Amino acid sequence: MPSERRLHPASFLFAIAGQLRQFLLPGVVVIFTAGAASGGWEPWWMFAVIPVAVGALLRSLSYRYHLDETELVVRTGFVFRKERHIPYARIQNIEAIQNVAHRLLQVIEVRIETGAGKEDDATMRVVPVAAYQEIRECVLGSRPASALPAAEAGSPEPGGSTIFRLTGRELLLSGLIDNRSAVVIAAAFGVIWELGLFDRVFGLFFDDEVSGRRFVRQAVRQIFGGGVPSFQTLAFTVAGALILFAAVTVLSMAWSYIRLYGFLLRRAGDDLRVEYGLFTRISATIPLWRIQTLTIFEGPLHRLFGRAAVKVETAGADASEQGATGREPLAPIIRRQDLKTLLEHVLPDVDFARLEWEAVAPGAFWRELRRSAIAATVGSLLFGLMVTWLTLGLRIAPPWSGNKLTWWTLGLLVLLLALATVHARRYTASLGWATRDGAVLFRRGWLRQRITVARFSKMQIVALHRSPFDRRTGMARLRVDTAGAASEADRIDIPYLPADIASDLHRRLAAEASGTSFQW
Amino acid sequence: MSADLDGPPDASPASVADGVHRQLDPRVIQLERITSFIASACISGVLAMAVVITWLAADSAWIPRLFAIAWPAITGLLAWHSYAWPAISYRYESYRVDHLGIEIRRGVVWRRQITVPKSRVQHIDVSQGPVERRFGLGSLSIYTAGTDYAMVALRGVTHERALRIRDHLLPKEAQDAV
Repeated sequence: MPSERRLHPASFLFAIAGQLRQFLLPGVVVIFTAGAASGGWEPWWMFAVIPVAVGALLRSLSYRYHLDETELVVRTGFVFRKERHIPYARIQNIEAIQNVAHRLLQVIEVRIETGAGKEDDATMRVVPVAAYQEIRECVLGSRPASALPAAEAGSPEPGGSTIFRLTGRELLLSGLIDNRSAVVIAAAFGVIWELGLFDRVFGLFFDDEVSGRRFVRQAVRQIFGGGVPSFQTLAFTVAGALILFAAVTVLSMAWSYIRLYGFLLRRAGDDLRVEYGLFTRISATIPLWRIQTLTIFEGPLHRLFGRAAVKVETAGADASEQGATGREPLAPIIRRQDLKTLLEHVLPDVDFARLEWEAVAPGAFWRELRRSAIAATVGSLLFGLMVTWLTLGLRIAPPWSGNKLTWWTLGLLVLLLALATVHARRYTASLGWATRDGAVLFRRGWLRQRITVARFSKMQIVALHRSPFDRRTGMARLRVDTAGAASEADRIDIPYLPADIASDLHRRLAAEASGTSFQW
Repeated sequence: MSADLDGPPDASPASVADGVHRQLDPRVIQLERITSFIASACISGVLAMAVVITWLAADSAWIPRLFAIAWPAITGLLAWHSYAWPAISYRYESYRVDHLGIEIRRGVVWRRQITVPKSRVQHIDVSQGPVERRFGLGSLSIYTAGTDYAMVALRGVTHERALRIRDHLLPKEAQDAV
């Protein structure tokens, strides 16, 4: 075993392709924008990719790794040589990515993450599938992790105990609930709009009056101009919105189906293994004791369908890393009964059934109300300004008279303030914390509920914050810092605690943290 | 009360973990004033250059005039801040070392109370800048595996004390972290 290995001979292809991909989007933009303007110099700028690609190629050709008894040694570089030693004990998780091209060549890209920083500590792009299994066994070898064929796509019944798998129906449901592609589609819509494609497409079907931008301008003029919009305009607006919404949803479902196809979470020894993907197969190994925090998320649609999503943070994961486990939830969608099984695996000590949530201070409602009331006021003012700007910008004559706009803005303000009251009431009621079975739990959100759990042994620093508002109302905010807390929303950051309880909890948690020794 | 807090240098290393809230060394006020004055002077100098440039370049007269009024006001504000703020923030800053770890309180308006358990300390830097050296003060930077508080700093203790706190917080025996 302790012999030096190289990457797969085809690695250079992927090294170059990886660099090319980064240039693809700017390149397309350059070609599009430069296309119309006279044959300028811009396309030549694309040749900047060559030195970068050569650099990646050399790095890939010089890459050597070596599986030692206790550490992984990676050597790169011809001229400036670099040798990196990664003790197995420090490795947080291993992730393997296999896209269609990888599968054709029977190779796999392996990412090894320690808690050290932004960059993958060792990305092997690419090694043969057999080598991946060897690496994984070596790294996690101290334990009898058994030789599980994890990487092969569609192996019929892999070993280990399956915690849950996602059927096609669940995948589509996940797409429906997440609707994450809405952002992408909105962005695409904006680009197409800018390029004026709508004008051309609409022009084919309708007369000039309803084409693209002119149509929207007309609609705005009719709505804000105070007149009654014509039936045609109304019908087009509603139909357009419906079609767009349906398209976004269908695309989101399709995307979810492709991305998470064959999602399987199982437990092998003390590791969780996740596999998913139709074209690009991703398989990740997360040692259970490396999990820093766990967050259960339930949006309104989740509750409607009786589902939840579960996310874990490990110290190795990095939020900005494409396709890393840090980005993808441990369970994008999970049924209630499966959730129970999953929690029993990940947090066996914590008894969720017997949790008793402690509420925040009674005055929290007023503080939250003030916050959201300020937001409501700013929002309605912005609305007023935007309408003024829009009517002036689109040269709608006559623009809304000042009086009418004032009434509209006031109406919106009243509506938003009512919403703010409901929000403050429900939100402060949803806030809760608990300490139980060696873990601290934090619950918040009424439309989008989250429960975050951090074990005492994973807490790093406990901090008590007191803003001037906190001091005036006798409250405090308690924050628990953990390693690898990439997502702002998934942190333990309990606001509006009564000051004495907060300081008590602070002392207790600090003592609990001191009492346990941290293992990454 | 703070005069005798940093104690005579003959105190044994164990006494650093006394569990008492201690204020910083009072000389830190002077230190902060000096560093803050240097920073303010830099900002003020850059602004003065901007005023001169607008004076030379601007077409209208009122913009340079506005700047010429604003500059002394800003400089005065910075000078006041440099002088007064260190004394104010000194009053709200304290630390406490005990056998479990270190607790740091700071913040005049937004107050924070940060507890670093001893078992979570990854490594510690003790540093001393040129001005700090003149005052015999040092800075502690305590690193943990955390995210927001990956580094917690304590400025304004005597260098000798900073070293003792470091020795107290770092694990005595080599323990396998995994």
